[in-house]
Amino acid sequence: MNYVGLAGRDLLRNPLRLSLTILAGAVGVTAFIFLRTVIDIFYYGAQAAQVDRLITRNKVSITEPLPLSYYARIAALPGVTAVTHQEWFGGTLGETQKDFFPNFSIDSNTFLDVFPEYTTTPAELSSFRSDPCGALVGEKLSRRFGWKPGDRVTLKGQIYPGDWTFNVRGIYTGTRPGADTTALVFGYRCLNESELLPENRKDQVGIYAVRVDDPSRSAEVAAAIDRMFDNSPYPTKTESEKSFQLGFVAMSSAILTAVRVVSNVILLIILLVIGNTLAMAVRERTRDIATLRAMGFRPRTVVLLVLAESSVIGLAAAALGVAAAPSLVNGFAKLIASQFGQIPDNVMRGRTLVVSALAAVLVSLLAAIGPAWRALRLPVAEGLRRVA
Amino acid sequence: MSLEAVPALPPMVRLEGVSKTYRRGTVEVPVLEAVNLTIDTGAFEAFMGPSGSGKSTLLNLISGLDRPTTGVVEVAGRNLAELNDRELSDWRAAHVGFVFQLYNLIPVLTAAENVELPLLLTPLSRAERRRHVAAALELVGLSHRVGHRPPQMSGGEQQRVAIARAIVTDPDLIIADEPTGDLDRKAAEAVLDLFGVLHRDLHKTLVMVTHDPHAAERAGRVHHLEKGVLQ
Repeated sequence: MNYVGLAGRDLLRNPLRLSLTILAGAVGVTAFIFLRTVIDIFYYGAQAAQVDRLITRNKVSITEPLPLSYYARIAALPGVTAVTHQEWFGGTLGETQKDFFPNFSIDSNTFLDVFPEYTTTPAELSSFRSDPCGALVGEKLSRRFGWKPGDRVTLKGQIYPGDWTFNVRGIYTGTRPGADTTALVFGYRCLNESELLPENRKDQVGIYAVRVDDPSRSAEVAAAIDRMFDNSPYPTKTESEKSFQLGFVAMSSAILTAVRVVSNVILLIILLVIGNTLAMAVRERTRDIATLRAMGFRPRTVVLLVLAESSVIGLAAAALGVAAAPSLVNGFAKLIASQFGQIPDNVMRGRTLVVSALAAVLVSLLAAIGPAWRALRLPVAEGLRRVA
Repeated sequence: MSLEAVPALPPMVRLEGVSKTYRRGTVEVPVLEAVNLTIDTGAFEAFMGPSGSGKSTLLNLISGLDRPTTGVVEVAGRNLAELNDRELSDWRAAHVGFVFQLYNLIPVLTAAENVELPLLLTPLSRAERRRHVAAALELVGLSHRVGHRPPQMSGGEQQRVAIARAIVTDPDLIIADEPTGDLDRKAAEAVLDLFGVLHRDLHKTLVMVTHDPHAAERAGRVHHLEKGVLQ
């Protein structure tokens, strides 16, 4: 026998209590990973943002349009290599949001120059560009609804009233992680030249996406764009793509704060559960601990035995929690993928798992401080008289 | 060639003016008062007295589990007041073996593992520890019980395992607090016989607290305590 064996035997004194404690810890770890991943999902768009892209929107609000005429003026600025525009269409398959997916109108000639992370075959791209109401469907979306080139998709416009029918001309795919393939995009001409669009809404776009030649000059180019339209009826606000995405996240800041608080409360609950178990275990073993101390075991050794038990509980809870998390988290991600769009197949980040596991072990060690202190300060003579 | 006098061994235990007072809230409760005592090396001495007379407190002071309020406690040549808590732990591991009334065995460990516990504090190898454990268990007649856990053994057997644990490190002093208090007559006799072996054959110094006159009879000297005063 050695110290490890002694700690192990102590740990297994009450197998039911040990199992329940580890299980409670594991549930906590899984819940912690789940909530942290929910937060990550909110930030996923910002993480996928490219450093050489700027977004120009109406300075008043994202919901206010910009004139189409800005396109040429922005494209002519020094440092700008490509410009495109897009409009949030917000159409639905039926009357409800049940089968929601993101859909935009885009400038079919320039979109892929600014967003090279999307690609399609040359034949499908050519077909898409030649059809005013042609649409490209993301790979995941095509799988979700079984759409293929040649199909016709009718969306009910919410922002642009009426029934809008698009011809699926191709399937686009992503060339790097984070590329959203859950959307449908269609040519701007279909929207702008439609009889359904009132005259006063024609030649307007939602945002401009601008690609710069040198990311270190992004701020300079952004300032130049905004300066150019400063005194116009449609002043602009230009920012990095990441900042633009974080602006969306900021709209949900209250929810994110609540999720963060709950995730930290879960850590506190793990701490209390493990702390309670260890406190009971140490209290029940008061006489045994006193006996060890009488035999000459140093207080530090007894403390290390308690910490070892706590670490094992923390590690076991972390291992179980981490093992259980993927199915729960990925299942949830699939469920909400239609609302968030840009969620990868394996949404859980390795960093989240490592941080969660470390947090569980750290919390279990913190939980041991009280019981270990009690063992450390135990008056030996008094402990020897204690009847378990 | 000249004959020289063999120097007498120093006493194993020397208490000089030892008092112990506990504080219960604002009230100070004197438990031991001005105890002067010497126990020779190799002696077997017993302490008797009614409950609350200070017997166990005296044992705790002699074994370094507690510190006196006043006075000097010198054991195995060391003034225990000079040792800090860590040094006192090391000193106990090297010099003192304990036998308790309720055996105080760790219930989840086997007899052999319980006996091995004090050896974890020594630099002995695993194989050497096993040899010592086997020898100690053989001495107490429990070689056949090495793999049994305390709940699987009788009270007498558990106390013999506790004695094996107390002697496995070959300590100078064995402290026994009511070692027969929880045993029937037959088991108690077996334990006292073992104490006799430790005293006579292994020349251990035994200090025992007991309520049992039969047990006290086995000791070479019996001290009586009354209200914290050594009679």
